[in-house]
Amino acid sequence: MSDNQAFGVLEELSRAVMRGNAETAESLTKEAIESGLKAEVILKDGLLASMAAVGVKFKNNEVFVPEVLVAARAMNRAMAVLKPLLVGEKALSGGKVVIGTVKGDLHDIGKNLVKIMFESKGISVVDLGVSVPAERFIEAAISERASIICCSALLTSTMYEMKNVVEEAKKAGLRDKVKIMVGGAPINSDFCKEVGADYYSPDAQSAAEKAAEILGI
Amino acid sequence: MTKRELIEKTLAGVPTGRVAVSPLVCGAARGLVGASYKEWSTDASLCGESFVRAAELLDMDCVTLLVDLSIECAAWGQGVIFPENEAARPDYSKKIIKTPGNYAKIKRVDWKSSDRMRFYADLCGYVVKKIGVSVPVFAFVFGPLGTLSMCRGQEDLFMDMYDCPEKVKAASHEIALTLAEYAGALCDTGVDGVMLDTLFASGSIMSKEMWEDAEGGDALLIARAIREKGKKVLVHNCGKRVYFDSQIKYMNPDAISFLYPPDDCDGFDECREKYGGSVTLIGCVPPTYAVMGSDEEWSEICRSQIKSLSGGRFILSTGCEYPAGADLNRARLMVDAARRA
Repeated sequence: MSDNQAFGVLEELSRAVMRGNAETAESLTKEAIESGLKAEVILKDGLLASMAAVGVKFKNNEVFVPEVLVAARAMNRAMAVLKPLLVGEKALSGGKVVIGTVKGDLHDIGKNLVKIMFESKGISVVDLGVSVPAERFIEAAISERASIICCSALLTSTMYEMKNVVEEAKKAGLRDKVKIMVGGAPINSDFCKEVGADYYSPDAQSAAEKAAEILGI
Repeated sequence: MTKRELIEKTLAGVPTGRVAVSPLVCGAARGLVGASYKEWSTDASLCGESFVRAAELLDMDCVTLLVDLSIECAAWGQGVIFPENEAARPDYSKKIIKTPGNYAKIKRVDWKSSDRMRFYADLCGYVVKKIGVSVPVFAFVFGPLGTLSMCRGQEDLFMDMYDCPEKVKAASHEIALTLAEYAGALCDTGVDGVMLDTLFASGSIMSKEMWEDAEGGDALLIARAIREKGKKVLVHNCGKRVYFDSQIKYMNPDAISFLYPPDDCDGFDECREKYGGSVTLIGCVPPTYAVMGSDEEWSEICRSQIKSLSGGRFILSTGCEYPAGADLNRARLMVDAARRA
């Protein structure tokens, strides 16, 4: 396969991811590997770039949650093929983030969308899941050497758990070492300031852009 | 002017010279009867009494009976968890639609066979009997697609809408048939109307085309059932960039309760200009501020919303549920702001 043909496969792969066609994304990834393209190139130019494009369209209201979810599913299917060929997490070396929905809150779709957008920027994400106690955010940030803690909440009854995360970070002597980002339906920039967090993002793509800025990606 | 006259005129677009007000106080009212969330969500008289006391204490012009969003899904066998101090919610560890093939299990059911729907109808009847003569009462029903999401989980539902839209729509339609009958029965309890929550008709969730295709026709079906009973159709949607035009196209509601400006308006002023003459706008104070900032800041937000949205058909309210853990004093301040406007 010529270079042009190989890059043609990458373009097709990008399109498959953006359209959420998981089976095509998987087979094109195999084709790209067979064509001799490096796994890192396939990851960066075929998968992450296309997911990042989906993120921008999401922010611009050109695509919506279902489109993002099926695109992420296609990317993950392709990633499963690619992962054994990637050395460690070399290609995902853009920094590490700990993310979770705060204690008492079981909503995860917003948190999952943010995770998708982070990964599309090459950021490693440690997903702590839902109803995460403040102490757990801190333990994970320390053990994973994360640069950012991201807290999500969908309920006004749980959003003040974010203040506990900030306080726990202070207690652990971590406050000047990590940035704390907050988001979710009831959250706004006033609330972010009130609880002493660093950044509020109104949507998943904006969160990823801010995280990339913090991490210098 | 009585509260009933005020609300009826407001919904009809007749000038009243007064700003109607009704903060969406729901779970926050449970403290008025000393009930845990679990008791409040399962005992119709206790729940009803809390709404009655809240309406009286706060001097609200009308009441909307929102309890939680898992009332409807239980009718299809979806398990519901009743925490002591949180709103009831579906048990997602036991989703009844585990695979796309399970959508076929969803068929029209007799609403009277559902404990939670019967609880809710009893609640409506209780509140209407106690205060309905003087205070308009509105029931609340979660839409068919939202109800389906409670049985499947939102993420899976959204992906299924790509993978097998016909299966999703067929199940959603079966739910809609049940909800139409249920909404009609709620009207028979004497409520003044039904507020239908079409949560997914929003730019923060799905495209306008997808919503119209998936739920528009079913929303019409339910709205028609309500109207056939001679009652008002209200819509609630607290998402961002709500599709007012689509919801008006399918449901022609008397009022829309919302939190953010619709997708075709840059702000609340434009929303009032564009829609305030044809549909009553209910909102749009962010409930988050009920638990942060000062009382004066809260009152200023209320005044700002009045300034932006009054002049047309308008009821001052929170754009979504008043926080269940918030002091009711802020709700009272909202009422005061409306009275002084």
